[in-house]
Amino acid sequence: MDQLDATFTALADPTRRAIVARLARGDTTVNALAEPFAMTLPGISKHLKVLERAGLISRSRQAQFRPCHLEREALDAAVGWIEDNRRIWTERFDQLDAHLRDMQKAAVRKEGP
Amino acid sequence: MTDLVITRVFDAPRELVFRCMIEPEHLTHFWGPIGVSTPLETITVDARPGGVFETVMVSDADGSTYVMRVEYVEIVAPERLVWTEPVTGMTTTSTFTDLGDDRTEVRIHQANVPAALSSPEAQAGFLTSLDRFATHLRALSVLGVPEAGA
Repeated sequence: MDQLDATFTALADPTRRAIVARLARGDTTVNALAEPFAMTLPGISKHLKVLERAGLISRSRQAQFRPCHLEREALDAAVGWIEDNRRIWTERFDQLDAHLRDMQKAAVRKEGP
Repeated sequence: MTDLVITRVFDAPRELVFRCMIEPEHLTHFWGPIGVSTPLETITVDARPGGVFETVMVSDADGSTYVMRVEYVEIVAPERLVWTEPVTGMTTTSTFTDLGDDRTEVRIHQANVPAALSSPEAQAGFLTSLDRFATHLRALSVLGVPEAGA
C-alpha cells in the first residue's frame, strides 16, 4: 500500500497529472514539458522529483537533455486500484439487486392465495 | 461532488435495503464481488459506533482469503451507515434515500483513499478527478487494452 500511497499523492496535483498525460504520448525533455505550463524549470523539476520518487517516471542519466519517461507499471497499479474498487461495488450492487428481487418474490409467494 | 462516489437505485423499500447492508444473513448473498464468497460464519457485525464489521472473502477459484475489517463510526437506521478502515483511515459513507414507490437510492462515498491523501488536495475533489484521469488514460490506450467488456 505504501507505493500506492506515494503514487496517489503524486497524482493529487493537477500539474503532475498533466505531465503524466503528456508523457503518456512519449518521452519528453524537461524543457518541452515546461512549455505548456508557463512554469520555470526549477518549478517543473520539483514536480518531476515527486513523480520520480513515486516511481511514476524515470529520467535517462546519460542523455544530455535527460528525457522523462513514464513508468506505466506504477501508473497501472494506481489506475487499477480505482477500477477494481469501482468493479467490486458494481458487482456487489448487481448481486444485492438480485438478492432483493429474490426476497421480494418469496414474500409475494408467501402472501399469495 | 468530491471523492470517489458510486450510486445505485434498487427496487426495494429503504428499510429492507438498509437491513441488507448490516445483517450477516443478507450480506453473505452479495458482499463478495463475482467469483468471491463471503461465508455467513465469517461475517461479524457489531452495529454500534466503534463496533467491528468483519468479513472473510474467499476466492471461489483457489480458496485464497482476504479479511476485510472496518469499524463503524455512525449508524442511523435506515438512512446512513459510516465505517472506517483503521489501518488506512479510508472512510466509507453509505446514504440510503427513499425515492418513493418502494425505490431506494444507495450512495457510497469513499474518502481518504488511501491514508496519505488526508491533505487539502484530497479534500479538493482529487478522487473524482483521478477517476476521470483513469478513464482519460484508458482512452489514450497507454495502459494496454482493457479486458473484454470493461
